Amino acid sequence: MTSDAELIGRSLAGDGQAFMEVICRHEVAVGAYLARRAGRAAAEDLLGDVWVAAFESRRTYDQSFAEARPWLYGVALNRLRHYWRSRPAEDLVPDVTSLANGWDPWPAVDARVDTQAVLRVAMATLRSEEREVLTLVACEDLTVADAARVLGKPAGTARRLLHQARMALRKAPEVAALLTDLNSVKETQ
Amino acid sequence: VTVDEMDLVSQLKEAAPLRPAAYERARATLRAAMAESGPARGPEMVPVPAAAPVREEGFSRARKRRGTVGTLGKVGIGAGVGAVAAAVAIVLVATSAPRSAAPAGSSTGASTGSAAQPPTATSPLMTLAAHIQASDTSPLPGNASLVIEDKKDSAGKTVEVVYALYTDSGIMYTGDDKQTLMSSITQPMNPANNETYRWAVSARNAASGDLATARLRMINTFPNCFGLGLSPTAQKKIRANCWAAGAALRREKMGDKAPTKQPTAKEVQSEIDNTLWVACDNALSWAGGDPRIREGVLRLLSTLPEVTVANSTTDGEPTLTISGGPGLFDDGSYHEVDTVDAKTGMPVSSMESGGGMAPSTQFFQFSRVTLADVKAGKF
Repeated sequence: MTSDAELIGRSLAGDGQAFMEVICRHEVAVGAYLARRAGRAAAEDLLGDVWVAAFESRRTYDQSFAEARPWLYGVALNRLRHYWRSRPAEDLVPDVTSLANGWDPWPAVDARVDTQAVLRVAMATLRSEEREVLTLVACEDLTVADAARVLGKPAGTARRLLHQARMALRKAPEVAALLTDLNSVKETQ
Repeated sequence: VTVDEMDLVSQLKEAAPLRPAAYERARATLRAAMAESGPARGPEMVPVPAAAPVREEGFSRARKRRGTVGTLGKVGIGAGVGAVAAAVAIVLVATSAPRSAAPAGSSTGASTGSAAQPPTATSPLMTLAAHIQASDTSPLPGNASLVIEDKKDSAGKTVEVVYALYTDSGIMYTGDDKQTLMSSITQPMNPANNETYRWAVSARNAASGDLATARLRMINTFPNCFGLGLSPTAQKKIRANCWAAGAALRREKMGDKAPTKQPTAKEVQSEIDNTLWVACDNALSWAGGDPRIREGVLRLLSTLPEVTVANSTTDGEPTLTISGGPGLFDDGSYHEVDTVDAKTGMPVSSMESGGGMAPSTQFFQFSRVTLADVKAGKF
């Protein structure tokens, strides 16, 4: 299969369909990423902006990377930051992951909600870069190196940020208690 | 298995998926942006292995095209209506902003693809273009141009009808009749793949500014092997590479093992001119409702030495007859003649004959409409 990098190269040479093919490959993943970060309604509004921003900046794409998904996440993250900045102050919440809607229609009957609530609180205490690396690796299934590409940082820096994020979560009393509960339940099963 | 903090965070993956319409809407936003930006441009021209752009069905008029270098020989001939250029080919991709172009007609320095005659202010095509520009002072009614193309054979029998709607924002819709045109409005064609749309954008660009640069842009609207805009050395190398790749492709796809001669400079120039003629002919026929596009096409056609212009009369109205001579086409017996209104440049008809084809003439009926009216069937 033709790599994303080759398709972007063709796009730069005037083949518009090539860039559309890149988009078609990653639209579900990038759409889900936006939905997790900003909620479905905002994600649906933002997705087109992300594609346009990616198209306009495709000349900066490092074609030594065959796969474009981390780069597209990076473009999406920039659009998200712009979106968050442009929102009225009263709408801002410290933990953006909590903005995702439609996760579960009956949270009261689902124990996962407790987990998520605990996590949201704990993650809100992380530095934004730590939270980004953590969610990119844990939720978007990126490697640390790819997460570094998203953030435009060296892989070593991303690794350090991930380590700090994990340590901070582990030390958070609610998360520690949750992990203890979950692991003890597993042991008794 | 021990659960850790990464497992917990991964539970945040769950999110309601975007609705299918949202993906399509986002793609449409991208298409609009791509159309707005025009053909991609870059710092230099480089040969790259690439698939030719996908050409969507029915979006360009079938015209005789030459094929030696730019289209990789006979493999490329006929890639017009309905043809999807699926074969992967080595093509030259024009990524460069046009270099400072020598005047049309010059063949020195970086080539602008022109052994073309420099147009003169007295060229009837340039004169008409200037007249259209001077007359283009008031806003047109509606927001789109509708053209109904009625193709008749030599006996006057209709053999094909095409409805094409070109909006002022640059979107095209086509249909075989009113109903299919109305239906197409919900599914606009992808501008990135649409030959006529891209040619129309280049033609509009040619309405003003440096004509040699506009000519280069029109010729390079789609990837080709001409190497226009490059140094003579680079151009020669790329043409040779393309010729070799074309020969290899013919061997592979068509079993054509006979050695072939490299095309002469004259043949290459003829192919370049053919490319320009086909592009202009399509842009004018389908998007000629836009005065800027008519201006651009007329200016571009004035650079073609094989084109002759004569005064004529059609249904009592003064017209210009623009003939594409046989030197533009592979088959010396084939020729095309476009007739335009002598005052407005609006296409009246387009005739093709020779080359073993049954003669036929397309008659154009242009009108200004609104997209909403067409969508509602009010046309």
